[in-house]
Amino acid sequence: MIQFSTLDWFWAGSFLLLMVGGAFFFYRLARRSESDFFLAGRRLPWWLPASSVFSTHTATDTPMWVTGVIYAHGYRGLWYTFFTAWTAIGSFVSARIFRRSLAYSQAEWQVMRFGGMGAELLRGWMAGWQVFMNMFILGWVGMAMGKVGALVFGWPVWVGLVFPTLITAAYTLVAGYWGVVMGDFLQGIVAIFAILIVSLVGIAAVGGPAELSGRLVEMGEGWRMNAFAFTGLFTGDFPAAWWLTMLVIAVVGGFGMGTSIDWYPEAQRIQSAGSVRDAAYGIWAGGAITLIRNGFWAASILAFFVLAPGIADVADYELGWFRLGFELLPTGLIGVFFAAILAIHLSTISSHLNLGALYFTRDLFQRYLRPDASEETLVQMGRLVTAVLLLGSFFYGMMMQEITQWLIFALWLMMAGIWLPNILQVVWWRFNAWGYLSAWMANLGVAWLVVWILPAFGAFPPLPDYLQFWLLMALGALVFFPTTLLTKPEEMDHLIRYYLQTRPLGWWGPVHREAVRRGLIVEGASAGVSGGIGGTAFSAKGLVPKRPFIKRRWTAAEAEEWTREDWIVIALSPVVMAAFMIGVAALLLFQPFGLSLTVAAVLGTGLIYWIIDPKLRAVSADYEQRQAAYLEDLERGVRWEKDAVGTGGSGQNTHEDAGRGAPEADNRGGR
Amino acid sequence: MDQGLVTVIGMSIAYAASFLGMALAWYGWKKRSGKEEG
Repeated sequence: MIQFSTLDWFWAGSFLLLMVGGAFFFYRLARRSESDFFLAGRRLPWWLPASSVFSTHTATDTPMWVTGVIYAHGYRGLWYTFFTAWTAIGSFVSARIFRRSLAYSQAEWQVMRFGGMGAELLRGWMAGWQVFMNMFILGWVGMAMGKVGALVFGWPVWVGLVFPTLITAAYTLVAGYWGVVMGDFLQGIVAIFAILIVSLVGIAAVGGPAELSGRLVEMGEGWRMNAFAFTGLFTGDFPAAWWLTMLVIAVVGGFGMGTSIDWYPEAQRIQSAGSVRDAAYGIWAGGAITLIRNGFWAASILAFFVLAPGIADVADYELGWFRLGFELLPTGLIGVFFAAILAIHLSTISSHLNLGALYFTRDLFQRYLRPDASEETLVQMGRLVTAVLLLGSFFYGMMMQEITQWLIFALWLMMAGIWLPNILQVVWWRFNAWGYLSAWMANLGVAWLVVWILPAFGAFPPLPDYLQFWLLMALGALVFFPTTLLTKPEEMDHLIRYYLQTRPLGWWGPVHREAVRRGLIVEGASAGVSGGIGGTAFSAKGLVPKRPFIKRRWTAAEAEEWTREDWIVIALSPVVMAAFMIGVAALLLFQPFGLSLTVAAVLGTGLIYWIIDPKLRAVSADYEQRQAAYLEDLERGVRWEKDAVGTGGSGQNTHEDAGRGAPEADNRGGR
Repeated sequence: MDQGLVTVIGMSIAYAASFLGMALAWYGWKKRSGKEEG
């Protein structure tokens, strides 16, 4: 147990009041409409989604598992945390496409991308999955807080599980996503402060960076400072093949939607951003800060390893970061540290409460049970579901000490079978709803076969997880490729509507040509300027000025195309994120290349901004202008606080009314 | 309990919720189709 002084209680109480009070402050905004309750009205500047991405990615259990992998594997354990790098490409590809769709949720996006009954079944499937997953995550994170409460105060585990979550639920119920995102901003600041302080104090406790490095070498553990200390190509506990698999899953996954479990909460942040540009920067910055955070954590965990080597029990060494904070910080700062732990807990709980409610309310209740429900009913339903999720998470949390392990594995398996379909649905026009649904179904059967049945009966050896991933993916492909090709493509009208609104990357040639044939888009709007990876140096017959290697003046039509600039940024972005993570971790140990890598990452960030910002501005300005009138119409139609708008919105209007006149989305209201 | 069995049981619990959601979508789709035909 940790002794709290009066000063500690003062700081902990003050921060809690600030964080929760700040969230409550926005409750009036959440009352205006479903869009405000779940997406903060789609008007947020990039730094608010960015802080929300960081805060949601930083939960009470995060320091535990990061500590676990770093304590066990040294700096190479940083790669376990690199799944966040889906944001590197995702920011500039899938986030851009998803933001333009205007879908509230990933489930809703399914019926934009696909059509007919298959799309509806997919929407129901995904919504059911997400309601469950959010309740599961709430229980999982709540249980982690219960363990921290037991460590710090000697409380029974249920106290830490229930009470902090109840505080979060209070402002999430009242202020909806406005409360979530504003709370996340304040909580993010407190969390960053605590992570920096504890990391530096931990390193100082060993005697500083040089002493820390020297002690590790003396202990024969110098390899722990090397993030690339592979044990062979396929052998040992850190084979290069595992690392390559992780890189592919994370980085290439950025081309798809749903390739990471984090995609689903981030989809809400993408949609709440004020523009395509805000969405891209919000997701990128949130991902980059998260990876930098991991670098700080890793250095402090190496310090913990030197202070307390040889701990064999995972449950003991996983609490290393918490022990550094509570045992090394002086009186007063312990209270701040506890406030930071509450902050990271509150931010994750609030996000998942609101997100789970969104999936049930929007994608199940409104879509399939009460399509004519008023906005007032929907917001009330959102609050009711939030409360139900809360109670469900308590139940789950109390019974899941063993189940957690089941589901962590389950998540890995789940991703294996649908990772490729998650990308194909974004980049390949011919992929259809039946192909995607068959991938989900096949994954269940194939996982039973590969993971349990065949090994249990000796027909197949148990495989390392990275080989399981590739095998499950290949076996799934044997089902979803034939299913796709043996069933009809989606209706061309539906595909064209989706194509015009989102302008996806990839193999969309037939849809593009049909849209051109119908006169809906002009072929070669950017002729002579779009280039490609190789690029064309000159436009036709020299009538148009020579295209610079990096084009920085864009018309809206030109910016709609995927060009050389996009591909350069797509290639550069994952490298920059990796450099940030490894560079900061190395810098904190005063390793010579740490400074070079960190500086290179900063310069790389500037280069990315210099290359892509003019294009994102052009896309955003044009698209948001056309979208603004539609959204205004939509929000006016559904806003149910009459005096706030003065339009006399009846509260009974459905999106069908408001959908009229939507730019490039003539059926938007019908979703 | 065998780790592989534990894993696939956990995965199947998660899938049950998805099947429920899909059943609801099927119900909604049939109801809507019936109305449109009527």
